[in-house]
Amino acid sequence: MSQCIVVTSGKGGVGKTTTSANLGCGLALAGKRVALVDADIGLRNLDLILGLENRIVYDLVQVIEGECKLKQALIRDKRVEGLYMLPAAQTRDKNAVKPEDMERLVLELKEQFDYVIIDCPAGIEQGFKNSIAGADRALIVTTPEVSAIRDADRIIGLVEANELPEPELIINRYRAGMVTRGDMMNRDDILEILAIPLIGLVPDHEDVIISANKGTPAVFDDNSVVGQSYRRIAGRVMGEQIAFPSFDQSDEPNFWSTFKRWMGFAPAREVV
Amino acid sequence: MRGLLSKLERSLEQFLGTSKVKSKDDAKQRLKFLLIHDQVDLSAAQLDQMKVEIMEVISRYLEVDADGLEFKLNKEDGQIALVSSVPVKRVTQRTAVVA
Repeated sequence: MSQCIVVTSGKGGVGKTTTSANLGCGLALAGKRVALVDADIGLRNLDLILGLENRIVYDLVQVIEGECKLKQALIRDKRVEGLYMLPAAQTRDKNAVKPEDMERLVLELKEQFDYVIIDCPAGIEQGFKNSIAGADRALIVTTPEVSAIRDADRIIGLVEANELPEPELIINRYRAGMVTRGDMMNRDDILEILAIPLIGLVPDHEDVIISANKGTPAVFDDNSVVGQSYRRIAGRVMGEQIAFPSFDQSDEPNFWSTFKRWMGFAPAREVV
Repeated sequence: MRGLLSKLERSLEQFLGTSKVKSKDDAKQRLKFLLIHDQVDLSAAQLDQMKVEIMEVISRYLEVDADGLEFKLNKEDGQIALVSSVPVKRVTQRTAVVA
C-alpha cells in the first residue's frame, strides 16, 4: 500500500525541507521506493538540500501542464536505490497548480512508489491547499518556540478539517541544555499544548547546516545524532515501535560545563 | 551596562543553581491562553467586553465582589468552556423584573 505524506508546519524556517529530505532518504535507505515532491513553487529548495540542484531539467508545473512526462521530470538520486525527486518550478507562482492537479499527480506517483513525501510551503494559502490535496497522512514540524507552536496548532486544525487522519508531530531544534535550565518547553509541555502524537524529536545540531552545505542529508551519516533521529523517524513512519532517547540526560549540566559557561567559555552552540 | 549586569546576575544564578526564572513556563502559559482564543476567534479584549456586558446584567440582581471576579476560557479534553466565578456580596433587589 503506497502512502502520501505531507510535511507541513504553518510557520516558515522550522525545518520542513530538511525533514522532508531526511525522511525521504531514510525511507529509501530502509529499502522503500520514495518520491520526494517539492511543492514550494516559486521558492524551491529541496533540490539544494538533496544536492540535486544541477540535475533539474523539468519541474512539477511542466508535468501538470503536460509539457513533459512525469518520468522525465523525476530526478533519480544516485546515492540510494529507489529515491527520486520532483522539483518545484522556480519561476512560477503557487496559483499555477490547483488541488485537483496535485491529487492526480500524487495518484500517478503512488502507482510507482511506496512513499510520496510532499514538502509543503509555509503558510496556509494555495500552496498548503495543493500540498494536502493528495495526502493520506500529515507530519507537523515545529520547534520549541511560541510562534512555531501557535502556527502548528492552526495547521493541525486545518489538516483535521480536511478530513486527514490525526497528524503526527516532529519537534525540531530541541536544545536539551535549555530544557534543563527551564528556558525551553520540553517534549511533554509541547505535547500537552498541541495534543497530537509525537513521531520525532530532533536535536538542534550543527550537522544540519553542515549537511545542507554539502547537499548530503544527515541521515546518510551513521555517526550524526541528527541523522540517527531521522532514521528513527523513518522507522516510526513505517510503523516500527522505536523509543525516544532522552536527550535531556545526556546533557545535564555538570559543574565543569556550568563553570565554563559562567566564565564565558561556553561552546559556540549547544551540542545535544 | 544594565543588560550586562542582569546577564551577569543570571549567570551567577545559573552557576549557583538558584535561578527561579523559568521562561518556558511563561511560554506555556501564554500559548495555552492564546491558542484557545485563536480557536474560538475571540480576542482577550472581546472577552473583556463580553464580561462587562454580562456583569451589567448580573449586577441588576446581585451585588458582586469585583475583585474576586474570574472570567476565562478553559480547554479540557479538547472542549472549550467559558468558566466564570462571580463572588456575590448580597442580593440587590429581590423583586427585580426586567421589562
